[in-house]
Amino acid sequence: MMLLFENIKLALSAIRSNKMRSFLTMLGIIIGIGSVIAIVSIGDTMRSVIASEYENVGINRVIYYVLPEDNVWYESDYFSQDDIDQIKDAFGDRIPYIDTYYYDSMTLSDGVRNQEKVDIYAVESGYDQVQPMDFLYGRMIDEGDVESKRNSIVIEQETAQKYFGTDNAVGRKLQLLSTTGDREEFTVVGVYKKQDSFLMAMSGGNALVYVPSSLYFTPDSLGFEINCYVAEDTDAELLRTQMTNYIARMKNRTTDEIFSTSARDEMGMMDSMMSGLSVAVGAIAAISLLVGGIGIMNIMLVSVTERTREIGIRKALGARTSHILTQFLIESAIISAAGGFIGTLLGIGIVALGGMLIGIDVVVNPLIVVIAVGFSAVVGIFFGIYPARRAAAADPIDALRYE
Amino acid sequence: MSELIRIANLNKIYDSGAVQVHALKDINLTIEQGEFIAIMGHSGSGKSTLMNILGCLDRPTNGVYQLDGIDIANRTNDELSDIRNKKIGFVFQAFNLIPRTSALKNVELPMIYAQVPGKQRVARATALLEKVGLGERLEHMPNELSGGQKQRVAIARALSNQPPILLADEPTGNLDSSSTIEIMELFTQLNREGVTIIIVTHEDDVAAFTHRVLWFEDGRLISDRKVEKQS
Repeated sequence: MMLLFENIKLALSAIRSNKMRSFLTMLGIIIGIGSVIAIVSIGDTMRSVIASEYENVGINRVIYYVLPEDNVWYESDYFSQDDIDQIKDAFGDRIPYIDTYYYDSMTLSDGVRNQEKVDIYAVESGYDQVQPMDFLYGRMIDEGDVESKRNSIVIEQETAQKYFGTDNAVGRKLQLLSTTGDREEFTVVGVYKKQDSFLMAMSGGNALVYVPSSLYFTPDSLGFEINCYVAEDTDAELLRTQMTNYIARMKNRTTDEIFSTSARDEMGMMDSMMSGLSVAVGAIAAISLLVGGIGIMNIMLVSVTERTREIGIRKALGARTSHILTQFLIESAIISAAGGFIGTLLGIGIVALGGMLIGIDVVVNPLIVVIAVGFSAVVGIFFGIYPARRAAAADPIDALRYE
Repeated sequence: MSELIRIANLNKIYDSGAVQVHALKDINLTIEQGEFIAIMGHSGSGKSTLMNILGCLDRPTNGVYQLDGIDIANRTNDELSDIRNKKIGFVFQAFNLIPRTSALKNVELPMIYAQVPGKQRVARATALLEKVGLGERLEHMPNELSGGQKQRVAIARALSNQPPILLADEPTGNLDSSSTIEIMELFTQLNREGVTIIIVTHEDDVAAFTHRVLWFEDGRLISDRKVEKQS
């Protein structure tokens, strides 16, 4: 135990007396561990960003549309209000929300000077039940708005500030100008706080306003897709099969021609992409650690040769084979672990800096740091074995004569 | 006086396959505790081989070597390490201090391998360096010391585990005449205090400090005589 402590002190002083060389030796490990930590942290961060993204978008959302095999669509492939009502009758108990995802871009104006492009989403009532929203004032589009085709509008906090200078814009009037030049007046019924969302921030995006679906999706309109939310306690896969069959029959298409996608699918895809990336990262890590380890072995061999005489002296003075062996093993383990530690700091630093620049919280798994340092120490010991054995095997008489 | 070293019918043969070199031939030798001995001979006479065997750095091919009652033949390398550590103090011609390591740390080294606790180590190493006249230079690195000072550090190191025997291989070979006298006076003083000292040398001036001279030629011990002292 005491010898271990002495050996650590010895190794540190050997490393200190060859600072530049020790650092260059560590470089391979630093780069290897650094890049692994960086990529793993980027992966973890992406995962958490995407997870929260889908939390916003709604993990239970499923979209259906017709995707003909020959890529030729007929009018019957689109969805009418009638189709929606039929689907609602058939599956309403398991899908609390359904619409045709009517999304458009229009100009929002207060009739005086302010006007800006906004995205409008024409929703059915109950949207805020499946997609949690944070209301500062007022409420979401409700059944009354939809049934009476009221010109109600729900806007973002930032929009309220911009047009009225206050968050509480409930009861105020705004105009929507369609691209065809139609101008209609709306009454603000609710102001909500936008979720901080990375994807939305990336897309830059216009402000989003909600209006009743009945204003735009009339009984003679057709929608391209069905956008629905599945109830929490439902067997989502079973429901998906059943709905696919139902829609196929309704549209006279085969079930293969009914395309559906869910947030879960996309997350699963993201996850498999990430695990693919992890395998690639693992391979890179293995190669760079191999190269780094060989670098350490090389330098340790040089060090052993240079210190042949020292080894001879130590043996003459009573060092056992195991003393010399551990001395050099500890030295290579410390070089390697220090490289791993510096690499970890470097990797985290790079990711944290990047995260700061694009404004997202970086996720760093503390376990990764422990594993990285531990693993690089193991690499150091592994690649230190051969040089250390060579040192330990030296014959004291020959070693003492070595010039 | 009690017997410290007993060598009987000892041979050392180097066998490199094609050539056999009979480096030591039928050596018989007894050394008592407290002796001060010079081993002399021309190069190739076998004196270095004997030194290596006495120092437990090498094993005899056959014959008996007993050191302080311990039979040395057929010991494992680690056992020999432990014997060197506790029983023998080495002083080399080239000093052989560990570079970039302070005088104090160098003297501590054999005690580290003997697992002497840190505080005790420092106290003993300090005392030994003071004894050899380097109390002011504990933290000096070997390259900051003169040849004579280096050899004194080496002697302090050789004494650190209080071995019964001190083996010096041409200890003054790299020193000027005044340092040679200093070092030999230090050996003489240590011998008076009871340390058994064996010096390999080819200098008569050095041998003159000792009490007994063994002369080797062609692997044989050909002369063993007491040194006449004037005083």
